[in-house]
Amino acid sequence: MVTLALIRKEILLLLRDWHALLLLFVMPAAFILVMSLALQDRFAEDRGVSLSYYLVDEDHSAESTALTAALAASKEFKAEPAQAPLPELRAAVQHDKVQFLVHFPPGFGRSLGGDAPLAMQMQAGPGVEPALFELFRARLQGFLAQLDLQKRLAALSVSMPDVDAGARLLHAESLYSAGARPSSVQQSVPAWLMFAMFFISIPLSTTWVQERSQGTYARLRSMGVGAGQLLLGKLLPYVGITLLQVVLMLAVGMWLVPLLGGERLQLGDAPAALTLMALAGSFAAVSYALLIANLVSTAEQATIFTGVANLLMAAIGGIMVPRFVMPAAMQAISLYSPMAWGLEGYLDVFLRQGDLAMVLPWAAKLALFGAVCLGVAALRIRLRNQR
Amino acid sequence: MIEVRGLSFRYPGAERDALHELSLEVRAGSLFGLLGPNGSGKTTLISILTGLLRPGIGTLRVGGEALPDRVRAVQAFSALVPQDYAFYPRLSVAENLRFFGGALSLAGAGLAARIGEVSAVAGLESFSGTRAEHLSGGLKRRLNLAIGLLNHPRLLLLDEPTVGIDPQSRQFILAAIKRLNAEGATVIYTSHYMDEVQQLCDHIGVLDEGRLLAQGSLDELLRAHPGQRNLEEVFLHLTGRRLRD
Repeated sequence: MVTLALIRKEILLLLRDWHALLLLFVMPAAFILVMSLALQDRFAEDRGVSLSYYLVDEDHSAESTALTAALAASKEFKAEPAQAPLPELRAAVQHDKVQFLVHFPPGFGRSLGGDAPLAMQMQAGPGVEPALFELFRARLQGFLAQLDLQKRLAALSVSMPDVDAGARLLHAESLYSAGARPSSVQQSVPAWLMFAMFFISIPLSTTWVQERSQGTYARLRSMGVGAGQLLLGKLLPYVGITLLQVVLMLAVGMWLVPLLGGERLQLGDAPAALTLMALAGSFAAVSYALLIANLVSTAEQATIFTGVANLLMAAIGGIMVPRFVMPAAMQAISLYSPMAWGLEGYLDVFLRQGDLAMVLPWAAKLALFGAVCLGVAALRIRLRNQR
Repeated sequence: MIEVRGLSFRYPGAERDALHELSLEVRAGSLFGLLGPNGSGKTTLISILTGLLRPGIGTLRVGGEALPDRVRAVQAFSALVPQDYAFYPRLSVAENLRFFGGALSLAGAGLAARIGEVSAVAGLESFSGTRAEHLSGGLKRRLNLAIGLLNHPRLLLLDEPTVGIDPQSRQFILAAIKRLNAEGATVIYTSHYMDEVQQLCDHIGVLDEGRLLAQGSLDELLRAHPGQRNLEEVFLHLTGRRLRD
């Protein structure tokens, strides 16, 4: 009865706090949308997919056709249909709609292997990073050198040597060890969800500080409401609210992001693991909020402490900068952030076909963190009540 | 109703007792004015009587129940009306009353009926849907009082319940307190308004630096301090003119 009254009161207060609703629901949804869409190409590059280019072949020779096919076979590059006139395509590249323009002028194939070969044209948009520019240019130069050599040797009736021998003589591997890399939406949804869940401490602390300063807390205690009931009366509704955050942010990733042209979030095949991560993350975030609420004296302190601590946890924990782009030392440090535990658990489910057993260590860390926060908060209440 | 014997209390880290060997008796049905300068120990005493603080040395019985052992029993028949507006500004009058009723384990028709009764006592019937943050100072004081009445308290502890309101609201609240007292409630009333205490209370205790300096009816206090013409003069005579803040 008492706990129900406390829960109902918390929900009513939160529903009337527009700032808190914006912070808890609109902020992460906006972050997810912006980051998923803005970083779509960047994440795609990191996964070995497609820098885009227009290819205009005015030569229609065997050589230009062979080069077109070689380029199309590269997994890093994706050809965009080039139906418009050349100046329009160039303008599109100028505006970074497509990264590169490749143009075979008439007579290109015929001149190849001769004394005065006709140069193939390559142009890059202003937003193309120098490293990517060099990558694309090196790939084209490689194809061209191979074609040129082939044509010259053919003129001498000499057969072409094995040009792939170089690839066999080189063993190349990435030392990245953190598993499969996420897409932008796979990274953004759990990252900004965890970030927003930990911001629950602002409305929760503000309410609790006000209750203490306005005498409501003392009045409730004088009515016989115990510290345990007060904690439970905060914990349960706020866990409910953070679970609602989970559902809504997943929905944003599954339906809203694709609606705006982004990739659809795939939830994986482990609903139990997903539920466990949601529950553990909610418990950790709300318990942490209860601890902050009982450490601070004013709402301003709660806001500043939450802001700074959350930004640090997010920066370390791979929320703002994905873990896979961090150096190894930072990747190790990042695993001390509760936000990283939540993020990695979700990524296990979304990306690595994780099941209950796979996410259990992350969930256990979050639950333990929550239990410690809750215990310290209870101790703090006890000490405060004795004053 | 209240028997305090040799009560001492010191806050952790404090250099002196907030209450020092205090003894006090308040009979059932009394309207007892508790006076004292700021920092005299009034709020500490009220906090102990309502179970917010555990008493240090000494014995306490409230309504026949020993504190702190029977604190839940004492809280069941007593109510604190703090000086602060101890309710939720973003909730309406009715929502506040419903919530605090729920916190007292009231529910259903019983709660609805009690909300109606306390709203009538506090003159809040026309404001049940108004958010507390939009109420005037006087209405906020009345809501503060109404919440304190939800559990039919036999002991009502009022901590400066008329601070900062207009004379009309003050007279309304004083009349309501008199009526509650006439209906049988024991009232402990703290205030810095001497005229209010003089007008309202049948017994008065003067507290300073954690000690009870005097206790009795207004007539008894005036007789005990010849030359003092009213309560304020008795109070200043007992506590001195030194500023306390």
